[in-house]
Amino acid sequence: MGYNSDLNFIYYSPTKILYGMGIVKDIAVELSALGCSKALLVTDKDLSKNTDLTRRVREYLGDKCVGVYDEAVPDSGLHIVNKGAEIGRDLGADSIVSLGGGSAIDTAKGIAILLKEGGKISDYEGFQMLSRKQTPHIAIPTTCGTGSEVTYVAVIKDWDNHRKLLFGDYNIIPDVAILDPELLRSLPAKLVAATGMDALTHAIEAITSPQKEPIADALGLHAIRLVKQNIVEATLVSDIQKKGMLLLASNIAGIAFSNAQVGLAHAIAHTIGARYGIHHGLANSIVLPHVMRFNNEVVFEEQAMIAEALGIKASVSDKELGLLASDAVLKLAESCNLPKRLRDVKVPENELMECAEIALTDGAIVYNGRAVSDPEEILSVLKAAY
Amino acid sequence: MPTPFPSEEWVAKYKDAINASADYKVAGKDWTYGVIALICKAKPPVLEKDIGIWLDLEKGVCRDARIVTPEEANKAPFCITGEYDRWKAVIKAELEPIKGMMQGKLKLKGNLPTIVRFVKAAQELVKATNSIDAKFLDE
Repeated sequence: MGYNSDLNFIYYSPTKILYGMGIVKDIAVELSALGCSKALLVTDKDLSKNTDLTRRVREYLGDKCVGVYDEAVPDSGLHIVNKGAEIGRDLGADSIVSLGGGSAIDTAKGIAILLKEGGKISDYEGFQMLSRKQTPHIAIPTTCGTGSEVTYVAVIKDWDNHRKLLFGDYNIIPDVAILDPELLRSLPAKLVAATGMDALTHAIEAITSPQKEPIADALGLHAIRLVKQNIVEATLVSDIQKKGMLLLASNIAGIAFSNAQVGLAHAIAHTIGARYGIHHGLANSIVLPHVMRFNNEVVFEEQAMIAEALGIKASVSDKELGLLASDAVLKLAESCNLPKRLRDVKVPENELMECAEIALTDGAIVYNGRAVSDPEEILSVLKAAY
Repeated sequence: MPTPFPSEEWVAKYKDAINASADYKVAGKDWTYGVIALICKAKPPVLEKDIGIWLDLEKGVCRDARIVTPEEANKAPFCITGEYDRWKAVIKAELEPIKGMMQGKLKLKGNLPTIVRFVKAAQELVKATNSIDAKFLDE
């Protein structure tokens, strides 16, 4: 696949990445390397109460941990970030360590802003508003899908006004990401599968995005290979090695989409996730094959590359390869025992048009591989996925 | 005769160009989210100080457009800030503003998803700048 002569892009990915079994033990060394000695550990209640991960990370940090803030929740709220910053300030924190999924890491990104700039987090809603590096932040993901440990965006919800606020800034990208497969040991199989499919969606949508570029393409394609080769076995509880590969895929796909963006599958997943409480990765997994079919008219060359990364070998046209790629994605979700249809996750059929209209107003729609301007087009995808 | 950018004269012409755009009227008909302000950063000696442009947009119409101070511009619900050369690139259709925001070439204060919902309107606003014969002071 070639690139247009007017190709121009900025690729930015400053995060230091550490990978390895048990590497989380190096956290205190990494913190010192950042010139910090007073970390606020940001995590969620579930990890604190139901696993020993928070206790272990705290132990590895030793006297470099000034406190734990475990109030992060899915769709973390403005008030949660504001309170975390207040606690961090009171404790004299000079750095943040986040432990958890996307919500914990996003909460930490918000706290990092406030510890540096002061004020309330809502004051900083916007894109690229910050003019200096924020509070040092080490992110430790415990799921294998969001890639938030390397992205420049945090999503924080205004619970009072039922609105999601976006904070996008190169200055909030975590300084260090520690990828320790060992931390995924107790992640339930369904979550491994759903978050792994989220990573696959990030990779595929980055490659088919109108903002695609060669570096993100290269990363996205390898992330696809890693998901394909590892996701099924990673759902087996004992296979930490495979989970590690998925964690890497998530990270690599995170770098890819942070630079190239995501598209229609995410626009739909955001919509049905908010309306019906469907897990983000699962929602992506259900709609992605159908979005790929819809997009194939336009991005068949890109999807032919994706087919190759998915291990498809066939002497057929790129258009046919693109469709085979969509079939392979559907099959992969099936192999992971994930629900395949919107009806399986209780999306009401009579609300599909409403969902299509809302998805059309989602920011991700701008970066879909095939331009979408009519809710009827999205409805056709939703019906196919139903 | 070309109109210097940025200037009161350019802003007045921009208001007229927006209101003359049938495509913007349609694309922006549901915009009820308030003023969009632009800040063009100083580039001495071409532009000695930061300049704000206040665009009061409502339902596909530009009700008011004027030069304001950067402080005033910053009070708008949406404020987009960029270097002089970035705005020049936008006006010359060399930089797509939403991509520019994502890449840090332009800075947005405000809710990006709201702007993105009106991406077509944003494109028409940019197109409207192209209809003005602009004179860039560094050329």
